[in-house]
Amino acid sequence: MKTAAPNQKLQFLLLGTVGLAVLPHYPHLPPLTFGFFAALLGWRLLGVRHPAWLPERRVLFLLLLLGIALLFTERQGIFGRDAGTNLFITALGLKLMEMKRERDSCLIVYMAFVAAATQFLYEQGILFGAYIGLVCCLLLTLLIAMNGLQHPIAQALKLAVIFVLQAAPLAAAMFILFPRLDPPKWLAIGSETRNRTGLSEMLEPGSITNLGLSDELVFRARFDGPLPPPHQRYWRGPVMAATDGKRWVQAQNFERYPKSNPQVSGRPYRYTLLLEPQEKNWVFALDMPAEFSPPLSRNANFQMITSELHGQRAAYKLTSYPDYNTGPLSSAEYRDAIQLPGTPSARVKELVARLHGYDAAPELFIKSLLNHFRRENFRYTLEPPKLDANPIESFLFDTRAGFCSHYASAFVYLMRAAQIPARVVTGYQGGETNEVGNFIQVRQADAHAWAEVWLDRRGWVRYDPTAAVAPERIEYPLDVSRLSPGETIYFESASGEFGKIVSLLKQAGLIWDTVDYGWQRWIINYNGTHQANFLAGFGIKGSRAMLNWLGAILIAATVMLSLAILYRRRRKLDPALRIYVRFCGKLARKGLVKGTGEGAKDFAERVKAALPEHAGEVDGITGIFMNLRYGKRPDPKDIEQLKRRVAAFKP
Amino acid sequence: MQNAINALLDSANQILLGKQKQIRLAVCCLLARGHLLIEDIPGVGKTTLAHTLARLFGLEYQRIQFTSDILPADMIGSSVFDAKNQQFTFHPGPIFSQMVLGDEINRATPKAQSALLEAMEEHQVTVDGKTYPLPEPFFVIATQNPSHQIGTFPLPESQLDRFLMRIELGYPDSAAERLLLTGRSRHSLIDDLAVALPPAQLQRIQKEVLQVYASNALLDYCQAIIRFTRESPSYPAGLSPRAGLALLTAAKAWAYMDGRDAVIPEDIQAVLAAVAGHRIRAGHLDAAAVVAPILSQVAV
Repeated sequence: MKTAAPNQKLQFLLLGTVGLAVLPHYPHLPPLTFGFFAALLGWRLLGVRHPAWLPERRVLFLLLLLGIALLFTERQGIFGRDAGTNLFITALGLKLMEMKRERDSCLIVYMAFVAAATQFLYEQGILFGAYIGLVCCLLLTLLIAMNGLQHPIAQALKLAVIFVLQAAPLAAAMFILFPRLDPPKWLAIGSETRNRTGLSEMLEPGSITNLGLSDELVFRARFDGPLPPPHQRYWRGPVMAATDGKRWVQAQNFERYPKSNPQVSGRPYRYTLLLEPQEKNWVFALDMPAEFSPPLSRNANFQMITSELHGQRAAYKLTSYPDYNTGPLSSAEYRDAIQLPGTPSARVKELVARLHGYDAAPELFIKSLLNHFRRENFRYTLEPPKLDANPIESFLFDTRAGFCSHYASAFVYLMRAAQIPARVVTGYQGGETNEVGNFIQVRQADAHAWAEVWLDRRGWVRYDPTAAVAPERIEYPLDVSRLSPGETIYFESASGEFGKIVSLLKQAGLIWDTVDYGWQRWIINYNGTHQANFLAGFGIKGSRAMLNWLGAILIAATVMLSLAILYRRRRKLDPALRIYVRFCGKLARKGLVKGTGEGAKDFAERVKAALPEHAGEVDGITGIFMNLRYGKRPDPKDIEQLKRRVAAFKP
Repeated sequence: MQNAINALLDSANQILLGKQKQIRLAVCCLLARGHLLIEDIPGVGKTTLAHTLARLFGLEYQRIQFTSDILPADMIGSSVFDAKNQQFTFHPGPIFSQMVLGDEINRATPKAQSALLEAMEEHQVTVDGKTYPLPEPFFVIATQNPSHQIGTFPLPESQLDRFLMRIELGYPDSAAERLLLTGRSRHSLIDDLAVALPPAQLQRIQKEVLQVYASNALLDYCQAIIRFTRESPSYPAGLSPRAGLALLTAAKAWAYMDGRDAVIPEDIQAVLAAVAGHRIRAGHLDAAAVVAPILSQVAV
């Protein structure tokens, strides 16, 4: 065992790979922890060339204390995913400073494997998996290179890739067959705080930008009858009535509004909602949900709430009516619905006046406002310019570019400026229809914000100002694959004007979606239930049967591999020898085993002494074999002769 | 031709009792145009073997007794001033002979040893800038005492390599011993021997030996042996390419003596100890023990 640390090139490679293994933690780790680790890694990198710069023992001890203090300030405890990852990464960083001997380097490689594995606690995408696979190949390369044998790095890398490829079938078998235990609920407790993309309880024009690009599935709705037309596909989420001019939140006391039962009419939609695991207890129902059963309930904002939240997919049966009247407004509701942060500025008042906000019926004002959006060069984009202190006014008068929350919030603001009760509703709009399964799939990209205005005798009425600017946003699903930052959004109906490249890109995007969907469906979602269902299709039921099958497959694979290797070696044998080996096999059963270094002639002598009655056959066979193998002019026809004689030979 | 060889072996076996294998190896060495080194304690018949072979092959025979004060000129010869012709004339030494017995070669100083070994390699000697070819066939049998005896200069490996084979005679078994004790003196027996294989025939055989066929399978085995000696940790040095060639040539001669026109692994195995033993000598093991792992572990 060498005691010296690996050479400089290896050290650089090791530290670089450790960096690569930890790098994807950047979004999840607290900045201080990540910074601490990055600083230690940088220090260690410098230390490769200048070992004198590395900290001595006392400094190392201080670093340790600093690391512990940092962990303490994060206040995450020591249980759960985030706390564990923090602790581990901090420890890895500190261990880097202690890379004195080969043993330390090996330990660091192993720790880096674990660090790479922790990434999967946060992210399970297909590309991400490939990245981690690459990192693991590099780590394996390091292990090979460090364990002597003086492999050049490239050769060690090749060997590592071969190892990984050889291990892949085994891993696949284990993946499919090893019984999956659904994690106990307490294990998930520490991870409750993880930041999932999704609608939040706060709307800040801009906060939905990221959401708009996420392809993550939120729910599926399977309809008993025909699907609702696109302009009716508004899936209601939290309702934002309170604002400080920049952000919108739910009204503080909306729970205490008197609950009213809206009058519903028209043709109902009956559907089953398949909700992906959620963090909030929100259930996104089509407007207006009227028939539902526990655990669902409808709050005063007509939003559906579930009382059960267990981090798993849930199914709810609902009936919604597209036509409804919510009835009169309570005084608390009215107050919240016309609340403004301060008094509107002069140019806002001027705009409201110009659009007849003060002197005409609310319907007319709404119509002229929507016309204003349509005509005055407003455009829809997912990457709007940054808005300053007064986002609504900047949007209305300067930038005129934004997405749903900009339009919804500006619309509501102007309504309130005209003393008309209005509020912002968030949720999802549209969704991808699947005619085969008669269901609608809604993804995070379909997140939307629209407005509701309370009108006399009609109650809360939905207006979507975004539709005025970009009607396609409502009529067609958002074409996420064609988005590029800062660009004006185009929708599927607008294709064709971009020519072939765009449609090719779109095609590629669709294929990628399919691949990714398969990955999510078959790999990531392969949990205990799926496994049981999948394997039951092959007649494998129960975890014991799974383990038995796994064992059987492993044994079968080993045997087949061994046979393949043996067969390959035998195929290289010259045919005469192959037949002769059969002859030796027959004799071995009689206890006459040919020695490794024993020539055929010597062996024949020994056999003849032991089995004098077969002397003639043995001599014949040995003679033909030796002539075939060593003779000056072997006769190929003798092969058949040899084969026949060996077949006939029965000692 | 095989009959002649067998008759020769029979005659030799009458003289040296109970040494069939060694005699066969010695003859094989001669047929393969190699030189022979016999290593053993005095009095076991080294000189007798050499003398017998010379007799049976009808070769001109000279014996050089090596001592610690022997000089190269004592073997090679020297130029002497001839008063009558008023010039130097070369008087060839005992080495100008078809069969030379170098007795107790490790008693001589390295200088004398190397003079002999050079002649063996080159088949010629150079005196005063003039080159004199040695007769054909030219065959050297050198004997040496076990090197731990007092007053010896052991041959270095590079010079041991010049001998195709090295054999040991060993004590005769008791029956042979009894015959030795009771029978006629060996010297008188040798004097009675008739030539069994004249030099012209020997030279033809030597040419035919080289025509013996070695198949690819056989060469594979030969190379496996060479590779084994190079890779095995129990040998300080593996067989050199020259040693490999020697092994194959000796095996060809062995096959020829057996009346075959192709080499088989048993031929290699038969000559291996004599050919390889002194080249990869490990410690003070005898040759058979040195090559035993090769014979048992290298797959045929």
